[in-house]
Amino acid sequence: MGRHGGRTRFGGLSEPAPDAARGPRAGTGQPATGAPATGAPATGQPATGQPGGTAVVRVDGLTKDYGSVLALDSLTLDIGGGTTGLVGANGAGKSTLLKLLLGLIPPTGGRAEVLGHDIATEGEAIRAAVGYLPEHDCLPPDVSASDFVVHMAMVSGLPRVAARERAAEVLRHVGLAEERYRPMGGYSTGMKQKAKLAQALAHDPRLVLLDEPTNGLDPAAREEMLGLVRRIGHDFGIAVIVTSHLLGELERVSDNVVVLDGGRLLRASRTDEFLDATGVLLLEVLGDDAQARMTAALTAAGVAAAPRGAMITVDAAEGAVDVRDLIRDTASDLGLGLVRLQVDHRRIEDVFADADADGDGDGDGDAAHAAPRSAP
Amino acid sequence: MTDPSTATPPGGTVIHDLGYRPYTGARVGPGAIARALTLTGFRNAFGLGRSGKSKVLPFILLALNLLPAVIVGGVLAFADLDRLPIGYAQYASSTQVLLGIFVASQAPVLFSRDLRHGTISLYLARPLRSSTYALARWAALLGATLVFLLLPVLILYAVALLRELGVGEQTRQAGIALGMAVLLALSLAGVSGLIASWSTRRGFAVVATIALLVVGNGVVTAIQGISEDQGRPVVGEVAGLFSPYSLYRGLMGAWTDVRVPTPPSSTGMVLAYVAVFVGLSVGCVAALLWRYRRVATA
Repeated sequence: MGRHGGRTRFGGLSEPAPDAARGPRAGTGQPATGAPATGAPATGQPATGQPGGTAVVRVDGLTKDYGSVLALDSLTLDIGGGTTGLVGANGAGKSTLLKLLLGLIPPTGGRAEVLGHDIATEGEAIRAAVGYLPEHDCLPPDVSASDFVVHMAMVSGLPRVAARERAAEVLRHVGLAEERYRPMGGYSTGMKQKAKLAQALAHDPRLVLLDEPTNGLDPAAREEMLGLVRRIGHDFGIAVIVTSHLLGELERVSDNVVVLDGGRLLRASRTDEFLDATGVLLLEVLGDDAQARMTAALTAAGVAAAPRGAMITVDAAEGAVDVRDLIRDTASDLGLGLVRLQVDHRRIEDVFADADADGDGDGDGDAAHAAPRSAP
Repeated sequence: MTDPSTATPPGGTVIHDLGYRPYTGARVGPGAIARALTLTGFRNAFGLGRSGKSKVLPFILLALNLLPAVIVGGVLAFADLDRLPIGYAQYASSTQVLLGIFVASQAPVLFSRDLRHGTISLYLARPLRSSTYALARWAALLGATLVFLLLPVLILYAVALLRELGVGEQTRQAGIALGMAVLLALSLAGVSGLIASWSTRRGFAVVATIALLVVGNGVVTAIQGISEDQGRPVVGEVAGLFSPYSLYRGLMGAWTDVRVPTPPSSTGMVLAYVAVFVGLSVGCVAALLWRYRRVATA
């Protein structure tokens, strides 16, 4: 089980009560007023009733006002172990939130705890136990990845011998082989991202903050990086907070998804709640004119079926008949090969498409462009 | 695509464990972290731990800087001299252009490089205060500058002792040179480090530092020469306060028997030279700390 055995895999996530008194940007004048626990009612309570003390990150009314920009607007949420995706358009406050959580910049109002340490007063304790992969370039070009990761491990508090061992191990995990001995200036973007990930893991953190780790990667490197992120959260037992502006990526790697928009919490819930089964089965059959014959047979049997691409969608939501059995028997009777039968998951984007349609009807189907609004 | 949530059974042990082992050993405190950062910075200043190309300049400069000392040693071995042809303290003054190029080119390695490549954000995300970072970098530059200044003194001292030139007097002279080298290194590390910490471009920092040190010294030297010619040494003495090299030269004139134009003539003036030397260093370090506090919260 390892050291993280006791944590729940679920992040208890709560949503702030909409503060009707201020518009999206109206809080600029008196930033700290909406601050801590006594502020808005019914905030800060984990919505899921998980046991206390398991949250990796607790944020309560956190506000960051840069003067010209209100980067975070009284954000309240809890983030648990496992992998949490942080989604939002550019400027939604993702990077600001990560910097606040590292204790690098002081909040304008509100408070937050990371691994039980207060961000305002215990920044060093947090940074000793947290790894950080910044969004921008951060690697010196004239140093080898091997030397650099050893150095960063030592700067994080590991003795020299331990730092050497850890660096070798972490570089192996991220998949930098012989090239680790070459200066990093000659690396491809994919290799650079791996080196950045290695330095974030060098000191065996309990939480890693990954700011757009797939930025600028080609599809193959993107897959590899996502696989690494998944392994860190699931196999390494390290809690992960990963940001992206691509929902599709986070849908596949994260247990929980937090959506920020204009410095406010738009939605926070488990990924599988985003991806609620729609009650539709997807099936693919093989044979002469398979799709049409199968659809006709299913419709004749009283089940709503329709072709979609090369597949057939079957409405399995209602009816006492076990639709799966029916599909199996029908395919068998028709002499068709049943290639695939799966639950039709929604994609995270669909959730926002719905929200747009329900909300203001602009319906562009892209959460990144959704107008600021209070949490649904 | 498989559902990621089923990749590992919840709470179960992972059979396909690829061998990630958590680190359970000791972790060191802020002091040791600062030492590690300083030591790496010191090595980096000479290009060690960096690419082969980056070792070329510092080691060429170091070799050129040592060359006169080695030649003096050779001369002393064959010629029958009863004193060193060049004083310990005078050595740094004679090779001051090399010294200027060294600090100007290597200070950006320690300061500008992290700012330019964004590495600073990684350091700040470690259990390390911005002030600790700034002081560790400054100490690394100070150490490198001291090595550059003191290695030739050490060679000369060893040669002098081997030639049995009088241990007491040689040690006294070398001691004075050591103290002056520390003063000079403190101020050079402060000035060049501060300039480099404001510049993300290495070239700019190099040019600005060389301009300040070499050109500033040139102007002061000209003023001192004129004031001596005109018989008004006080102007030259005051002018000497405005450049690290002329401060060094002035103290050399006051504390050793090397002849320099318009040395500080009174005890008060000598104290003023020392005070400006120390004040310049302290001021630069304070400005460095302030600069990195700004960087950290930006």
